[in-house]
Amino acid sequence: MLEVRGLTIAARGRNLVRDLSFALPDRGITALIGPSGCGKTSVLRWLAGILGNGQGGLRARGRLLLDGAPAAAPHPALSYQPQGDALFPWLTIAQNAALGLTVAGLPRGKAMARAAALFAPFGLAGCETLFPAQVSGGMRQRAAFLRTIVQDSRFALLDEPFSALDAVTRLAMQDWLLARLRDRPRGVLLVTHDLHEATGLADRILVMAAGPGRIVADIPVPIPRDRRTEAAMAPLRQSLKSLLLKELPR
Amino acid sequence: MLPRIPPSLILFALLLAGWEGYCRLSGASPMILPPPSGVARALLAERATIGGHALATLSVAALGFTLSVVFAFIASVALHGLPWAERALMPLFVASQTVPLVALAPLMILWFGFGLLPKVLLVVLVTFLPMLLSLLSGYRQTPADFRDLLVSMGARRWTVFRRATLPSARAPFLAGLRISATYAIVATIFAEYAGARRGLGIYILAAKNNFRADLVLAAVVVSAALTLALLAILQLADRLTARGPQERPDA
Repeated sequence: MLEVRGLTIAARGRNLVRDLSFALPDRGITALIGPSGCGKTSVLRWLAGILGNGQGGLRARGRLLLDGAPAAAPHPALSYQPQGDALFPWLTIAQNAALGLTVAGLPRGKAMARAAALFAPFGLAGCETLFPAQVSGGMRQRAAFLRTIVQDSRFALLDEPFSALDAVTRLAMQDWLLARLRDRPRGVLLVTHDLHEATGLADRILVMAAGPGRIVADIPVPIPRDRRTEAAMAPLRQSLKSLLLKELPR
Repeated sequence: MLPRIPPSLILFALLLAGWEGYCRLSGASPMILPPPSGVARALLAERATIGGHALATLSVAALGFTLSVVFAFIASVALHGLPWAERALMPLFVASQTVPLVALAPLMILWFGFGLLPKVLLVVLVTFLPMLLSLLSGYRQTPADFRDLLVSMGARRWTVFRRATLPSARAPFLAGLRISATYAIVATIFAEYAGARRGLGIYILAAKNNFRADLVLAAVVVSAALTLALLAILQLADRLTARGPQERPDA
């Protein structure tokens, strides 16, 4: 169980996120949705330990608990996947996939072997020695997921992982991700602004509102995945939509 | 099918033909404007002498250039790690580039004598900054995603630098290297012109003083060839060390 307690993120004296608390179970997908600017990405970046990177002036206060014990990000139990695939163009797909393991100190050969074992189930067999520029966007995204999953961390933090894909590939990739997570279950925190994505994938949806960022609803989605038809999900999407619209600043 | 000839080669041949034709038709004195054939004859006749001088120039340029690459790399790593040092030193570096070579070359000879040191220093001075700037700008082009990803994996500063920042700077660095390489031979000749025992610069000076325009031009041809050879070596190094199908924008 991963817990965030009393997270406040301030930018230049203004609170971007205020007193945010939630828990992430060891299994299942939790979607974090909200209007842009509500700080959902900042929450994810804080969990990944990269909030201070780049965007200067962001200051965070809050506690991260792993099974009740205080933890500090970046933490090996949490693996982060940035928006876009962030594959290094000068590494082969296999080397990219093994990046997290080699950075964690695993010898190169062992890391490559562990990543190689996942290429077939991830539908990437034969791509090992290709470079990212030589494969399609969908394949690149698969490789990015492989890089995240192979780290065998207990939790995965995904920042809009499908946003760079076209609509058809996105639908296929969502099903594909669910299948991969069934084989290798873990706790997933999925940041998205796509209601279809949230209602299609998540076991639970956290709705954030802006100004300052806070969680306004915690909605479980008990419907099994095979029965999540357009019609079945419409009422949930409608209520989420009205919830988000209500919180928009006028 | 006709073999494909690069347009630059055709243009070059046309220019040479025009020059040759002008010299024949106008009856210009070969003392003032020797035709290309005259330059070629002079080059052939003096090839041993010019070759020796060219070798001296090449060794100075290569040594200076190599040192410059090493210095630029060390300086870039230091300045990348210490942003305040970059802000403090950069104006100084840029100002150093505004000193005219004509003024600097004789001073270098005056301070450091006729040996290797002043010439190497001049080459370093001329070629250092383009490389440093290209490295620093390459470091800055590192995608933020790459850095975020590595830090979230628990990478320390040095690992981030080695695995993301340095490889990102590869293409800009090679561009800077090509710019610096074209300066290296010219700077060496300048230094030799101000005073040397051997080298193309001093050879050109002597040929000019003897009114041998053909020999001056022959030396110029050799210096151009040296620069092109240096660029070809860089191109080869680029090919050999390339990782992946990267687009190669020409600098």
